[in-house]
Amino acid sequence: MNDVLVGRALVKRFGQTVALGGVDIAIRAGEAVAIMGPSGSGKSTLLHCLAGIMKPDDGEVHLLGQRIDRMRERERSALRRTRFGFVFQFGQLLPELPAEENVALPLMLGGVARQEAVRSARAWFVPLGLHGMEQRRPGELSGGQAQRVAIARALVTKPAVVFADEPTGALDQQTGHDTMRLLVEATKHNGASLIVVTHDPNVARACDRMVEVRDGRLLAGGVPA
Amino acid sequence: MNLDLTWRLLKGGGRRGLLGTWLTLAAVAVSTALLLFAVAANFAFAARADRGAWRTPVPAEGRPAVAVEAARFDFVRDRAITVVDLAALDPAAPAPPGMPRFPKPGETWLSPALAELARTLPAGELAARWPRQAGVLGDAALVHPDELVAVVGRAPDDPEMTAARSEDWIAGRPPTKVADLRGRTSEDSEAYQVLTLIASVLMVVPLLVFGGAAARLTVARRDQRLAALRLVGATPGQVVGMTVAEAVIVAFAGAVAGVAAYALALPLLARIPMAGGPWYAGDLWPGLLVVAGTLVAVPLLVGLSAVAGLRRVVVSPLGVAKRETPPALRFVRVLALLAALAAVPVLGMGVSAGVIAAVIALAFLCVNLVGPWVVALVGRIAAATARRPARLLAARRLIDDPRSAWRTVSGVALTGFVAGFIGLLSPGVFSGDEGPPQLRLAVPAGQTAEVAGQARERLERAGVTATVAESKKTVVAALGSSADAAGVDRARTALAGLVPGHTASTEADDQRFGTQILADVRVGTVVVLAVSFLVAIASAGITAASSILDRRQTYALLRLAGTPLEVLDRARRTETLLPLAVMGGGAIAVGMICAVPLMMGAMNATGAITLLACVVLGFGGVAGAGALSRPLLRSVTADPAPRPD
Repeated sequence: MNDVLVGRALVKRFGQTVALGGVDIAIRAGEAVAIMGPSGSGKSTLLHCLAGIMKPDDGEVHLLGQRIDRMRERERSALRRTRFGFVFQFGQLLPELPAEENVALPLMLGGVARQEAVRSARAWFVPLGLHGMEQRRPGELSGGQAQRVAIARALVTKPAVVFADEPTGALDQQTGHDTMRLLVEATKHNGASLIVVTHDPNVARACDRMVEVRDGRLLAGGVPA
Repeated sequence: MNLDLTWRLLKGGGRRGLLGTWLTLAAVAVSTALLLFAVAANFAFAARADRGAWRTPVPAEGRPAVAVEAARFDFVRDRAITVVDLAALDPAAPAPPGMPRFPKPGETWLSPALAELARTLPAGELAARWPRQAGVLGDAALVHPDELVAVVGRAPDDPEMTAARSEDWIAGRPPTKVADLRGRTSEDSEAYQVLTLIASVLMVVPLLVFGGAAARLTVARRDQRLAALRLVGATPGQVVGMTVAEAVIVAFAGAVAGVAAYALALPLLARIPMAGGPWYAGDLWPGLLVVAGTLVAVPLLVGLSAVAGLRRVVVSPLGVAKRETPPALRFVRVLALLAALAAVPVLGMGVSAGVIAAVIALAFLCVNLVGPWVVALVGRIAAATARRPARLLAARRLIDDPRSAWRTVSGVALTGFVAGFIGLLSPGVFSGDEGPPQLRLAVPAGQTAEVAGQARERLERAGVTATVAESKKTVVAALGSSADAAGVDRARTALAGLVPGHTASTEADDQRFGTQILADVRVGTVVVLAVSFLVAIASAGITAASSILDRRQTYALLRLAGTPLEVLDRARRTETLLPLAVMGGGAIAVGMICAVPLMMGAMNATGAITLLACVVLGFGGVAGAGALSRPLLRSVTADPAPRPD
């Protein structure tokens, strides 16, 4: 077994609403998993619990064998910064920073010197088709370009797992398809696992495995065969 | 229809939208109350000057004289008494203000405060100076309610009305034949009015800036909402209309609250001692016309400021939505400040108060104009040299929106201008004579020996131990080292009326005008700086809070991706304190440059301490105001994924 991230019997409630009703899920190293489900099914809550953004009310989350759901917020914050990467639908880039500094920021937050961080960040621009965009600000990039910058930012710290929440939700079909392909390729190339929350079957098809969430429970595919 | 939609958007803005609206309302209320205070202070000094005018006689000059009027100062304890001598030349001489009739020879009318003192002190210390007290003066005769005034009726041939007196207006007014008792405003009240006008300018400019900041308090959110409206087809006119309507509705409510707050604060404000005493509350009420004007002008200014803040939305509906690189600020802003500073030497050339106020206001406004340009420059330098993420974030933010960063610190930086200006102008202390008190009495030439003899006799009769000496035109009564304030007043009372038209006085009495002005400048400094700091720190706090609300999505996502709260907070702090340090220092320097032509001597310890206190208070206040919004930052980033999706 080479599970990177494991969630066991995860339960999360919001008042009377049960968002997760005992979910078991395991993600293997280098694997791309799509979490699908309609609005309100609990898929984003599952992502947030796995990423240490939320504490589950019950159950356990393990990263590389280490239990993370009991960590304090400060520790979980450090974990998100160093072992996880994030790609969201939009709004994740700082509008006042040029693209290369947006990518370099997680490295600088981890204590890397600015020059070295920017140098590492620039190395991601060519492979992701962003050559010449280093000094552009997010407002001067197209939606697809901005998402590619976000992918670079998510991968620059060489994380164990990349979480993506509707990463193509704000893009047209072709750009979304291209972005998704890049996300999966770049994540795998980097040796990281990918968890994508989506309700788009086309996005899910780009992944190795798909799990479906309904009313806070997994219908199938939570644990790899 | 626009108004209806605006009202619904205003009401339905959500919890944070409403918080922004309340913050704007509170900011406008504070601005309005302080604006009324700054304006009313001028009216209050004018009212005082008008009420005191009758004591400064205007020669009849060609018109038939109805009375002779003279004035001098007497003293009790450490306070001055204005003594007005009146003699009727015509039976139809009008009643002086605050009196039911013209005083008859020998009668004395005392102000309520003086009458009370005369009752409480032993007669030999005060009351014996005016044996025939006929009544109490009404408010119309007095500059302020605690003023000590005595109006003494005389016959036209009374020596008090014929003897020569000093021509120096600080010592009093020589007997003057007058056609009426209207008089004219005195030199000292005019000096106070000029100082008040300058103080008002110093207070009003930060208030206007604060008002502008308040108007743009939630501009980012409004920007986005109105940009969305533009995208769906609203015309620029409709967008402007809705902006004005929203800003004006909130500002009008704030202005009404400000007027109410000012009215409630009046009794407290009336207790601020100035020019020898507190105020009639009515003097500090600027009148219905000014209040009505404020209620119209404040919402109008806020509306205009909001429109100015939304120019980009109106011009391009994508301007806000796309967050493009903002155009660089123009260097012409710096040229404007340099031009204003070039006009400063004019202040030392004896120009009118209006010109002084205009140049100071211009320099003040130019500091405000140059602020965003300097903030952008500071941002560029900081971005080039930043090594840590917090500093880089702060620097990029300064470059991205220097106007917004300037709004946060402008209040305190502009208070630096006030502090620099006042710090350099604070007058030094007057040195009084040390040792046992001495009373000096001016004596007409050739009468010193006779007067000295009478003085010895009177003092002995009153039981006062004193050594009386005479010089060329002065008789000096040196009291024993054991003489206290009561002993000095017994001696004063004993010597009262010994030389017609002259009062026995100590050196401290003679320096009274200077001492009073010094004390009043200090009170004025404290008031102006208190108002400025109150505005500045409130402004810093409100803009810090609104900045968090406007950027809550970015903060939440950064936090979600693992950015420590401390880094975000440090970035916020740097974003504020860096431009504050540069522009605060710059504003202090410009304030000092403006004060140089008006300086009366070298900078003294009081001025230096005032400046230092301002620097400490400014930094501490802004840092504290920023820290107050930390819980808000924590709250907007605490639950980055609140949706149960």
